[in-house]
Amino acid sequence: MYLTREEESIYDGNQGEAKKIAIRLLVALGELGGAERLIPIKSAHISGVSYKNIGDGGIQFLKKISDRVSVPTTLNPLGFDIENGGPVDIDENFRKKQMEIIHLYLNMGIRESFTCTPYYFYSEPQFGDHLAWAESSAIIYVNSLIGARTNRESGPSALASAIIGKTPDHGLHRTENRRPQIIINVSVPLDYTGFASLGLYLGPLLRNRIPLIRVQGRPKDMELKALSAALSATSSLPMFHVEGITPESNLPVESGEKVEVGTEIIKETMAKNTSSTEPEVIAIGCPHLSPEEIEYIANLVKGKKKVGPDLLLFTSREVRERESKAVEIIEEFGGKVLADTCMVVSPLSSKYKSTGTNSGKASFYLPMKGYGNQKVSFMGILDLLRWVIS
Amino acid sequence: MIKARGLSPGRAEGEAVVCDQYISPLGEISNEGIIASGPCEGREISGKVMIFKGGRGSTVGSYVFIQLREKGKAPAGMINEIGDQMIVTGAIISEIPMVDSVPLDIFISGDHVSVDGTAGSVEIRNVEEREVATAYITREDKILVMKRSESAPTYPGSFGGVSGYVEKGEKPVEAALREVGEETSLKDVNILNVGKEVLVRYQNILFKITPVLMKTSSDEIKLNYENSAFFWMTREELNSIKTVLKFKETYDLLVGRKP
Repeated sequence: MYLTREEESIYDGNQGEAKKIAIRLLVALGELGGAERLIPIKSAHISGVSYKNIGDGGIQFLKKISDRVSVPTTLNPLGFDIENGGPVDIDENFRKKQMEIIHLYLNMGIRESFTCTPYYFYSEPQFGDHLAWAESSAIIYVNSLIGARTNRESGPSALASAIIGKTPDHGLHRTENRRPQIIINVSVPLDYTGFASLGLYLGPLLRNRIPLIRVQGRPKDMELKALSAALSATSSLPMFHVEGITPESNLPVESGEKVEVGTEIIKETMAKNTSSTEPEVIAIGCPHLSPEEIEYIANLVKGKKKVGPDLLLFTSREVRERESKAVEIIEEFGGKVLADTCMVVSPLSSKYKSTGTNSGKASFYLPMKGYGNQKVSFMGILDLLRWVIS
Repeated sequence: MIKARGLSPGRAEGEAVVCDQYISPLGEISNEGIIASGPCEGREISGKVMIFKGGRGSTVGSYVFIQLREKGKAPAGMINEIGDQMIVTGAIISEIPMVDSVPLDIFISGDHVSVDGTAGSVEIRNVEEREVATAYITREDKILVMKRSESAPTYPGSFGGVSGYVEKGEKPVEAALREVGEETSLKDVNILNVGKEVLVRYQNILFKITPVLMKTSSDEIKLNYENSAFFWMTREELNSIKTVLKFKETYDLLVGRKP
C-alpha cells in the first residue's frame, strides 16, 4: 500500500501509540483487500458496545486504542435503556462494566447515539460518501438505499478508521465491486414482514453475491430496512439493488443467473421462523423504529387499553424525543418505548421465554441457544398487535 | 518452510488443530476456547495453532479472540485458506500471529506447526520437505500419463506426470527436463508454462512440486524402471483413472482451464 508522509509518520508511532495501533490495523486490512491507499471518510459507526459481546478483553483494547475520533462517529445499542432502565433488570457488575465501556467511547468524542439506525438524524450519509461503518443492518441500508460506500467493518476496524479519519480503498468503495451478480424476481407483493422473510430466505442462498431484486410495486424505505436487516444477518452481504428503486440499480448485472421467489417461499420462510407459542412479550424495533413507524403504531393503539403480553418498542433517543406525542399515546395505551437498546442485545431471557416480533433479524438471533434463548412468533405488525389490543 | 501471506505479525508454535470448516467466532467458539460446531466440535484451541478455512458470521466475532486472550485461552497462532476482515482484525488486536493462502490438506491435527506472521511463512516440524518437478507433456490434445511402478516408494501403481526430485544446485525446470530425458527419452520438448508451486502431503513427507507444462510432436517414448506403462490421454479420460494427488487440478491451472 502507498502511504503519504503523514500516514507513514503515524505508522511509525510518531503521533502516539493509539494512532499507531489504529493505522497498522487499517494497513493490514487494506493489504488483505488489495487496497492501494487510504481514503478519507465522512463518518464512522461503531459496533462492539455491549459488555456481553466485547468482555474485559474488549475494555483493555479500547483503553489501548483510546484517542479522539477525527470524523463524526456514532455508536450501536447496548443491553439497557441508560436513562430509563429496562427492558429487563441488569446485574450490577454488568451495568458497571457497560458504563465503563460507554465512557471510554464518549471520551474519544463519539456521540451518545446508541442506535443501529444512525442514518435517522445522527449521521445522514449522502450518495457517494465514503464511510467506515460497522453494524451489518446499517451497512447494507446505506450502501443500498442511499448509495453511500462502506465495507462490512468490524467494531475495531470502524473505530480505527474513526481515529485516523480514513479507510482502505477496496471492496465496496470501488464501483466495480458494487455491481449485481444475480437477479431475483419476486412475483408477489410484500409488506414489512414479507420483505423480512425475503431477506431470511435470500441470505443463505446468496452468501456474498450482490442481488438485483425485482419487486412488485414501490416498497417503502422501512420495508427495505426490514429486508436489509434480515438479509445481512443471514449472509455476509454488504449491498443489494432493487430495480427502479435504489440509486445504483442500473449498474450492469454480471451474470444471467435468476432466482424466482413466489408466495410459497415467503409463507414457508415465515412458518420456519415461528413457533406456535403464545408470546409473553411483543417486541418491535429491530432495526430501531423510524418516526413514521412510531406514528403508525400510535395510530393503531390510540385510545385503546392494552391486554395480554407486554409491548416493547425500540428506537433511538433522538426519534423518541421528536415523536414525544406518539410516544405518549403508546405509553397511555400501556406499551413501552425504549431507547439505547433492543430485544436482540438486551438479556431478554432473564424475564421472557417467548417473543413475538415482525423483525426477520430478531427472529434469526432470538432463538439461538446461549444468545437469545427465546421461542419466537414471527408475524406482521397487525397480527402482533392483535395479542395486545382487546 | 512453506510460503504464506502474513496477516498478523509475530511468531508462534504449537500443536495443530485442523478444522475443515468456516467458523463464526461469535457462537461457534466458546469463551473457554472450545469449538462448538462443525467437524471440530469439542476441540480445544487454547495454545494450539488453529487451522481452518476462514471466518463467517457476525463482525463482533473479532472481539471473541480478545476475550480468549484475556482469559489465557487464545490460540497460539492461526492459519486460514482465505483470511477475512473479521478474523484478521481479531488476530491483530489480540496479537495472535496469523497467515493465509496455505492449503488446509497439507496439515494433520497433531502436527507440530510454527507460524510466522511477520515474514509470511509456515513450517510443519514433523515432516520432511522435498522439492519435486513434474513435467506435463502434451501432444496435440493429449497428455502423457505415466503409470508408476509397483515398487515406487510413493504412490505405487498410480498415474502421474514425469516426476522427480530437484537435485542440489538444480533449478526445478532443469530437473523437469532431466527427468523427461531419463523417464521417456523424448528429445524435442518445448516448455510452455511453469506453474505455481503445489504442496502435497504424503505421510511424513511434504512434496513441494513445481509443475512444468511442455509440448512435443514425437511419441517415441522409452520407459525406464520408474514407470511400468504410459498412455496419451485426453483431459476427459483423466477423470476415469487414479492419479497422484492434485494431478488434474494442477494440469487445469497450467493450461488455464476452468474447473
